[in-house]
Amino acid sequence: MSGVIGADAPAEPQAAPAQRRERPQAEDRGILSVADWRRGRVRLTTRLTHLILLLSLVVVGLGPILWLAKSAVTPTQDTLRQPLALWPNGIDWANLAEAWTRVEIDKYFLNTVIIALGVWLVQVVVATTAGYALSVLRPRYGKIIVGLVLATLFVPSIVLLVPLYLTIVQPPLLGQSLINTFWAVWLPAGANAFNVLLVMRFFDSLPREVFEAARMDGAGPYRLFWSIVVPMSRPIIGVVSVFAVIAAWKDFLWPMLVLKDPAMQPLSVRLPQLQQFIELDVFLAALAIATVIPIALFLVFQRLFLNGASLGGAVKG
Amino acid sequence: MTQLTPTTAPPPLPATAETIERTVAATRRRRGVAGWFRGDGPHILVFLLPLLFSFILFSWKPIVDAAVMAFQHTNLIAPAEWVGWENFATVLSDPLLGKAVVNTLWFAALALLLGYPIPLVVAVLMSEVRRARGLYSALAYLPVIVPPVVGALLWKFFYDASPNGVFNTIAAWFGAGPFPWLQDQATAMPSIVLFATWSAAGGTIIIYLAALVGVAPELYDAAEVDGAGVWRKVWHVTIPQLRGVLLITFILQIIGTAQVFLEPFLLTAGGPANSTTTVLMLIYKYAFQNSLGGDYGAATALSLMLAVVLAIFSAIYFRLTRSWSTS
Amino acid sequence: MSSNITRSALASVAFVSSAVLLAGCAGAAEPEAAEDGPVTITVSIDAGLEQEARDNFDARVALFEDANEDITIEAQEYTWTAPTFTTDLAGGTLPDVFTIPFTDGRGLIANQQIADISQYVADLPYADQFNPNVAQAGQADDGTQWAIPIAAYGQGLHYNRTLFEAAGLDPDNPPTTWDEVREAAKKISDATGEAGYATMTSGNTGGWILTTLVNAFGGRTENAEATASTLTSDPAVAEVLQYLHDLRWEDDAMGANFLYDWGTINQDFASGRIGMYVSGGGNYGNLVTQNALNPDDYGLTVLPLQGADPGLLGGGTLAAVSPKASAAEQEAAVKWIDFYYMAKLADEDTAVETAELAASLDQPVGAPELPVFDQEQFATYQSWIAPFVNVPVDQMAPYTDAIFDQPLIPEPRVATQDVYALLDTVVQAVLTDENADIDALLADVQTQADALYAKAG
Repeated sequence: MSGVIGADAPAEPQAAPAQRRERPQAEDRGILSVADWRRGRVRLTTRLTHLILLLSLVVVGLGPILWLAKSAVTPTQDTLRQPLALWPNGIDWANLAEAWTRVEIDKYFLNTVIIALGVWLVQVVVATTAGYALSVLRPRYGKIIVGLVLATLFVPSIVLLVPLYLTIVQPPLLGQSLINTFWAVWLPAGANAFNVLLVMRFFDSLPREVFEAARMDGAGPYRLFWSIVVPMSRPIIGVVSVFAVIAAWKDFLWPMLVLKDPAMQPLSVRLPQLQQFIELDVFLAALAIATVIPIALFLVFQRLFLNGASLGGAVKG
Repeated sequence: MTQLTPTTAPPPLPATAETIERTVAATRRRRGVAGWFRGDGPHILVFLLPLLFSFILFSWKPIVDAAVMAFQHTNLIAPAEWVGWENFATVLSDPLLGKAVVNTLWFAALALLLGYPIPLVVAVLMSEVRRARGLYSALAYLPVIVPPVVGALLWKFFYDASPNGVFNTIAAWFGAGPFPWLQDQATAMPSIVLFATWSAAGGTIIIYLAALVGVAPELYDAAEVDGAGVWRKVWHVTIPQLRGVLLITFILQIIGTAQVFLEPFLLTAGGPANSTTTVLMLIYKYAFQNSLGGDYGAATALSLMLAVVLAIFSAIYFRLTRSWSTS
Repeated sequence: MSSNITRSALASVAFVSSAVLLAGCAGAAEPEAAEDGPVTITVSIDAGLEQEARDNFDARVALFEDANEDITIEAQEYTWTAPTFTTDLAGGTLPDVFTIPFTDGRGLIANQQIADISQYVADLPYADQFNPNVAQAGQADDGTQWAIPIAAYGQGLHYNRTLFEAAGLDPDNPPTTWDEVREAAKKISDATGEAGYATMTSGNTGGWILTTLVNAFGGRTENAEATASTLTSDPAVAEVLQYLHDLRWEDDAMGANFLYDWGTINQDFASGRIGMYVSGGGNYGNLVTQNALNPDDYGLTVLPLQGADPGLLGGGTLAAVSPKASAAEQEAAVKWIDFYYMAKLADEDTAVETAELAASLDQPVGAPELPVFDQEQFATYQSWIAPFVNVPVDQMAPYTDAIFDQPLIPEPRVATQDVYALLDTVVQAVLTDENADIDALLADVQTQADALYAKAG
């Protein structure tokens, strides 16, 4: 996963100034004016509200995760009988080891990473090249393609489930089923209209003078793409990357259908199945391990995540 | 497969503006770019290739296939047979359909009730935080980071309806409960929505927060000149300024909730007594829960009907984002 | 989701599935004399095996390949589930040899979704020794054997001895009537706060267990000709639902979870949260190996039978072959089924070896099962594995002493899983709505079942 985020890291310093530039305004004032802040009652109420808010966020946002962390090292019977007690009968560290070795969380996590990496690469390539062709090069038939791409946003993904599955089983041209290969998850991810539109909007907003100038200097379409457009689109690539990675993490139904072989499955598919096989305490340990790494990544690359979220909104699985 | 819900088009990121200005300053000659490339047909095609490859194979063709399958009787085993509107008739006469539609609307209503005002209130409060706002954002966003499958499996355990269940233990501290949560036809759906809200609200909060930062301070200054207090400022400045975003999250939420699947699938499998069976679960049931061969015709027929309804909302959404982003 | 995971695991045999295909191919694969020459077949293997078990599997593959030099075996980890079975069927991603529950055999045969291997089956030495009750699940209408029964079970009443003691009940004398079950459930619930009696309701298991109880109450859910459901016409159906209703609402003895499926009810039983529940009699193995059941807690008895013509619902697992397989592959597949699944029942050396190995790995040996062959062969088989039995047989005595006196009733034959799915809703409604109108619910389901029978007709 770090590879994915790492590749976007250069986008960060670029996106950051945007926030910093706006911050001073926001810091000068929000809904409350400087005068409001000076009033004791307002200040007290606000501070108190913020404290309550903070506590609520800790309970609601962090609480379940802390509970999971606790229960990961608690024997089954304690978790069942006193779910909120802190280790009435001691800590059982062996749960974690068992989840790691017997349940092989490491393997499924690696699969998740590989899937996310591939999805990321495919989505970025499709979105940037398409955005470039449609927004910058603008062929005459471009409008038709944009219309067709746009139209797919109106089709709920469930409609595609069965026909898409058949496409993967008998891909045209290839003559070989893609079931049980990562391609089955990677390739369809490219057909993401939202990414294409996002990148197009971004390219549309770039001043066309830049492209003209580069062209005057003798840059061909490939050079223009690689040396001018790609570097300029780092921020939007960062956004697309965050979406791609989050979506790959969350996806459940599709990988469940096309990755039959447990050795290939990501965590999201494997965990509900594991629930059948393993005892509660080990299962909770597995859930905890599966959660630790995304959270660690989030804490490290927080700004990228939050910027992406604020730009794009929720990614629905 | 995961479909990203369409969201607002991003405002151009200021970060790139500097780069652009520099380049522009260096070369000031003007000429129609489009003209330059008109002769580059083959090159344009090269750049379009990834798009065409993915969309033809994995989007456009499957959509056409689906539309055809809706009029066929096929379980993918026997040869497909053209049956006209029969699949639609089958679906419309299924006694479960009405229930699934009502459940889906109920889910959407509850999700709006919970998932709409809470993030807004939290975001407005958070926008006034001066110190450590990052901490607030991170805490609010944390549930979004938890993989939904993990979240659902975890909450399923929290919802244990015995007095020893996690939530019931907490309720007992306040002298309430035990509640049946997922184990009762009346409370199952609200419980699912509560989980769905928990796992999604963080994303909405961050969107609102970004929009709040964009509210021009002058508007507040002006309101104060008119003598507005804190509440009036919120009501007359903040909320109206957010109306574009609010409308968009509203539509997005409708589109999202109409396709809810994972939560009821993992938490209740549609029970008890079909009280959490949604339209999408019904589609899934037609296609995959028949041990002797899925009724793919009925599944795609119902998908198409759902798609028509959603297309209307999507159209409204696009109209809105367009007018909003250009204003 | 695990509806059928469930069923499969029932017989605690590897599940798997596989294959399938176009009807045309199925019919066309009329096996001609198989040509000689190398053949490769994919066979299913249990998911999530421990290393020792996997090594053991590989060793047996090597043994088989030595004996059949022209055949190469490839193992494919696969778990049979209803939701994915048909997609796998269509996608051709199932192994050549796979297993299915008894309930699905006749439907798949009628649709030619499994290969007609009857000519190879007929050549097996024990072909005419199958228990007829069990063999019929894998037979076509003309009586030819398309799928081979590899395991069979009868339903049992599992109970928690520790909870029985805590409630002042004698764990060595489990209830013998449904009234006694109800009394015991109430006592357990009152004394311990745990569910006295719990039942599965989800993923088609609600219909499965309801049908089990209806049979035990002397009723049927399908008429003798298998042409219609008898949900409204047989009063035992409503009687069982009323029984569950009273247990739930009058006695409050059914705990707090009414969305159990096979996996979750086992989990809760193993962790001591359930006094009694009905499930397959061979469940002990799963409870111990997957759910860490404490063996001391475990008790098993037969279902009480009452009414005019009661019986014990039984089921089991069939091994079947992909209709996509060529004639040579089908022949090889039957050889594999004979070697891997059947020899451990029919051949003394293999039976002993298998039991010995399982015992050495601390896997349960000797959990109750029903004979796939006749009674005599079953007794012989029992004597082969006797030295390795490591399950608490005394605690299962109430079951094993009486099970062969109970008349066995096969599961309904038509649209079995789909009717079960409809009944899930009824059971859930009764358990989650005190005022549920049982007659109205049944009338509604009867109408839908009629449509299913008409379609299958």
